[in-house]
Amino acid sequence: MSDNDEKMEEILETLKNGVIEFEEDEVIEAAEEAVELGLNAYKCVMDGLAAGMDVVGEYFAEGEYFVPEVLMCADALYAGLDILKPHIVMGENQQIKGTVVIGTVEGDVHDIGKNLVKLMFEIAGFNIHDLGRDVPLDNFVESYLEKDADIVCLSAMMTTTMIGMPIVIEKIRAKNPNAKIMVGGAPINPDVAAKYGADATGEDATNALQEALNMIGVLRDLSDFEAERKAQELDADSLMEPV
Amino acid sequence: MADNGNIREAITKLFAGEKIDFVPNFSGMGSITMPGIEEYGYSFNQVHVDAKKMATGAASTYKKFGLHSAVVPFDMGVEAEALGAGVKYYEKGGGQIIYPTMTTKLVQRSDIEIPSDLPENKHKSFLRKAIDQAIVDLDVQIPKDLANTGRIPIVTEAIRLLKEDVGSEVPVAAWVLGPFTLAGQIMELENLLKLSFKKRDVVNRHLSKLADYLVEILNLYIDAGADFVTVREMGATGDLLSRKMFGELIQPHLTSIFNRVTQSPTVLHICGNTNTIVDLMAECGATALSVDHKNDLVETRAKLPDTLIFGNYNAYGILCEGTPEDVDADIKAIIENGADAIWPGCDIWPPVIAENVQAMMAATEKYGALVIDN
Repeated sequence: MSDNDEKMEEILETLKNGVIEFEEDEVIEAAEEAVELGLNAYKCVMDGLAAGMDVVGEYFAEGEYFVPEVLMCADALYAGLDILKPHIVMGENQQIKGTVVIGTVEGDVHDIGKNLVKLMFEIAGFNIHDLGRDVPLDNFVESYLEKDADIVCLSAMMTTTMIGMPIVIEKIRAKNPNAKIMVGGAPINPDVAAKYGADATGEDATNALQEALNMIGVLRDLSDFEAERKAQELDADSLMEPV
Repeated sequence: MADNGNIREAITKLFAGEKIDFVPNFSGMGSITMPGIEEYGYSFNQVHVDAKKMATGAASTYKKFGLHSAVVPFDMGVEAEALGAGVKYYEKGGGQIIYPTMTTKLVQRSDIEIPSDLPENKHKSFLRKAIDQAIVDLDVQIPKDLANTGRIPIVTEAIRLLKEDVGSEVPVAAWVLGPFTLAGQIMELENLLKLSFKKRDVVNRHLSKLADYLVEILNLYIDAGADFVTVREMGATGDLLSRKMFGELIQPHLTSIFNRVTQSPTVLHICGNTNTIVDLMAECGATALSVDHKNDLVETRAKLPDTLIFGNYNAYGILCEGTPEDVDADIKAIIENGADAIWPGCDIWPPVIAENVQAMMAATEKYGALVIDN
């Protein structure tokens, strides 16, 4: 193992543990060192930061971590991602995988789940248009068309707002019957998603976050350099479990 | 109807721990229905800001369907609004029902100015730290003339009108958010959740102040005539927080509220996964507990044999999406599982199917009487 390989292993470990233990400063330091040494930034993101978040997902599933802990882990991940992302060489082992329009539907100002799903797409290398929270329903349709998006993600925390989802879905389907639409949030389960005509969702409230965390695992498997060919085939479809 | 036909008296007895000869079906949370208010020509957005319409709307669920209570208010913005947060009321047509939402908080992302020379990849961490600091600096002030601040006087007036209208027949009730849920309405929730770990003393200081504030509101509602009050701490569900954090951070403030609100029966409501915290909920000292359909009622009943437990039908799932047969089966199961009252897991969602609500009240009478006879 060359010095650089050893250093890489060490940095990956620090990034990973820094995310798991929500040690933001350690993540920042390791990410900066990786950039200085000219290490592969994509590998640092996938096998360091995302690998850590993968473990966080396990902790969350086991009930060891709850939402506040996951949020702190995500902060640590973001801190590293902000430093590493500009150094990812496009086309080498990372390409833009598609364009995502994401937002929380009108009447709902909760965006924690939406932001975690957004983070997942960011790691995966999607272009993201975040419409924010309390988004008028027509804005989703307009943005979908304007950005020529591959995926539209709708979030609702409350039963009282999720009813906006089928209205958006119907309008988007009228423009493009094959549009990929994901729905998520506390009141959403696969039955509701299917009824609304969405393509994908998580199991329930906590599992919507779990689903996002699981996706990171899927992406990491695909990020293995030896599976690069496979990675090139990764598109929106393979990210989605059928409803 | 049993107990001399007076529902209000029977529910008063239930809260006092006495046996009654039927299982009541009531709620302490928003219970307005579109079929109920449409008869008066009201739209959904009008009932939040007008005492007469609020009261008429609340009474209509009893008058039209026979629900054993009349409850105000309907939205989750009343307490935050009186503290200075901004609430948006939606003017919507086309059957889109949108509850009022918080549009401006006392601490919010959009108030933070990012220095123009800060590189973009530093924005996120700058924002986060600035919001955290704003929460540390926040000094929540309880309005001096609370009875006349925001929509508090609308709610108290609605309670008075309800007392005159239906108050001799069914209990009139009011509710507030719990301190932690309210904190999420007046500051960025994501930062609040993280500070609950990182700066617990700061979060405790805010929750303690908000608990004082909520006690004042609850007492205003009781003075106006509320027969019982409910505290809804839905932001502290087991889906979001660990049992440990509930015990250390949430429970003490709920306990402090229930210790101080003694002039009427009280209900503590938490939705989502409450299976891991029901014993701690019981320790908070409310007269009764309210849980939703994610609670394993049989298990909870076994854990808390002497606690009044209200629950736990899925208000949206059965009343809006179900059939009368689903409703019948669900109500039967809830009574068999040992609920002391049939009670929704959340607000009754306005666009209910009228036949489902009728089926629910019929099932309550049918199976509630059977249980008592046995």
